[in-house]
Amino acid sequence: MTKRLADALFGSVYYLFLASFIGFSAIPVVVAIVLSFDARSFIGPFPPTAFSLQWYEKFLADDYYYQGLATSLLVSAIATVASTVLGALAALGLDRAGFRGRKVLQAILLSPLVVPNVVLGFGILMFASRLGIIDGMPRLIMGHVLITFPYVMRTTAASLVGIRSSYYEAALSLGARPWKALLQITLPLARTGIVAGAIFAFVTSFDDVGISLFLSDAFTFTLPVAILAQMRANLDLTIAALSVIFILATILIIVLLDRLAGLDAAVGRGVYGR
Amino acid sequence: MKRPGLTASMLWPALIVILPLLFGPLLVLLHESLKPHIAGRVGGDATSALTLENYALLAGPEYAQYFLDTFRIGLISTVLALMLGYPMAHFIVRRASPIMRRILIASLIGTLFLSLIVRIYAISMTFGSLGPLAGFSRLLGIAPTSPSVAELMVVLGLLNTTMPLVALTLIGTIQNINPRLEDAALSLGAPHWKTFVQITLAMSVPGILSAGIIGYAFCISNLVVPMLVGRGFVLFVSNLIYFRFSEVANFPSGAALSIVMMVISLGIFYGLLHLVRTQWQEAGK
Repeated sequence: MTKRLADALFGSVYYLFLASFIGFSAIPVVVAIVLSFDARSFIGPFPPTAFSLQWYEKFLADDYYYQGLATSLLVSAIATVASTVLGALAALGLDRAGFRGRKVLQAILLSPLVVPNVVLGFGILMFASRLGIIDGMPRLIMGHVLITFPYVMRTTAASLVGIRSSYYEAALSLGARPWKALLQITLPLARTGIVAGAIFAFVTSFDDVGISLFLSDAFTFTLPVAILAQMRANLDLTIAALSVIFILATILIIVLLDRLAGLDAAVGRGVYGR
Repeated sequence: MKRPGLTASMLWPALIVILPLLFGPLLVLLHESLKPHIAGRVGGDATSALTLENYALLAGPEYAQYFLDTFRIGLISTVLALMLGYPMAHFIVRRASPIMRRILIASLIGTLFLSLIVRIYAISMTFGSLGPLAGFSRLLGIAPTSPSVAELMVVLGLLNTTMPLVALTLIGTIQNINPRLEDAALSLGAPHWKTFVQITLAMSVPGILSAGIIGYAFCISNLVVPMLVGRGFVLFVSNLIYFRFSEVANFPSGAALSIVMMVISLGIFYGLLHLVRTQWQEAGK
């Protein structure tokens, strides 16, 4: 019966690892949610003894976070629109391109994903100052376009793999002008990839800290930079309340991603998919 | 029926915007890293001849520790992420019901989408000295006051991102293994653990290595996790670069560190990934 014993042992290790995965991921989120309702005015031992909304009131009254949120929304919106247009066009262009060096160009355009964000942030800071750009806003937009562009290009390229170019060519042979065939045939078919890429771009831009830390200035800073500064100054539970808002926003975005592009489009079903 | 004109015109916007944004900063960094640094000045001295001094200084033993810490802690986090992420990916592909699969995939993407700062804050409140899981470090035999606790927190912080990242990547790998091979082994009397190890796991090796490389590249370039939970005991190379900018204001040295870090990251990512893909090409097909 060693076979049954070994299998039982295997099963328990398998589920222990699975449980650890879920525990490490979920417990901190639950703890942050519970702490955000803590009625104590200091950080005390867990769990809280009484509950209140004081931390929510405190951060709602804080102009500092609003300022960060306004900057973040503006930067992320501009970066998302720019990256989506540039990334989708580049993916379409590369997909139809037959020239030599196509692979190299693709790797170069995707490389902001691999170059550490700190390096890009530091580099853009010095590049901008040599160009005479010393304001936070244009610098942040430059950086955010650079780091979000590859996401759109990658998801659009992935969605184009499934589209046979014969559709496009059929439209051409039926007399459609190339731009019209592209607009009415290829673009609608690549829609899920472009939408998924735009959502990834927005989230990446909104959550970024690595490059924003370098590119923010005293008056223009993003929300994560504001939170980071606050966390290093004094660790209170205002940030727990903010975390809950972030968690709700993330759930909303996931639902949006599922509705607009489908979660399976982001992961794929594979050759033997059920 | 290629239309080179149209194709080229679609590529131009990206080339005009992205290439200068990518290469401009990298060339400026390279140039700055070759300038001599004068104490008390932020930027390098533009009038003197270019020098490799900033790089030579990095070769000293005091810097080796930062590089070693970065690579070692990154490796620990990646291996743990693979250990925990593989069963998760396997469960999603082979055992979960369609509804469970959707919920788990949504949670994995949701974890990655949730702000890293928020997740690190939640981890420090959970595993910190007043948190409900403060005893976790003692469970591993680490005294709550020792510097190793900072290291544990950094590993937990990195793990929080690498686990879902690795699991999502591995879903693709496991999905493409024919389930009939496993069924055949089981019906021939092989135990479950042996089927799992000798068929599923063995056939996933290239995917596991690729996922590991992606996770590792994320770990070693991280700035925020050591900054927030490293308590000054654990500093990555990224943190050194940030110090050169924010506190010491030695831009030439920061630029040299950036160039070194970039070369290492690109080398690990493209070099190792290429190696995995060429080594296992036959086996994967």
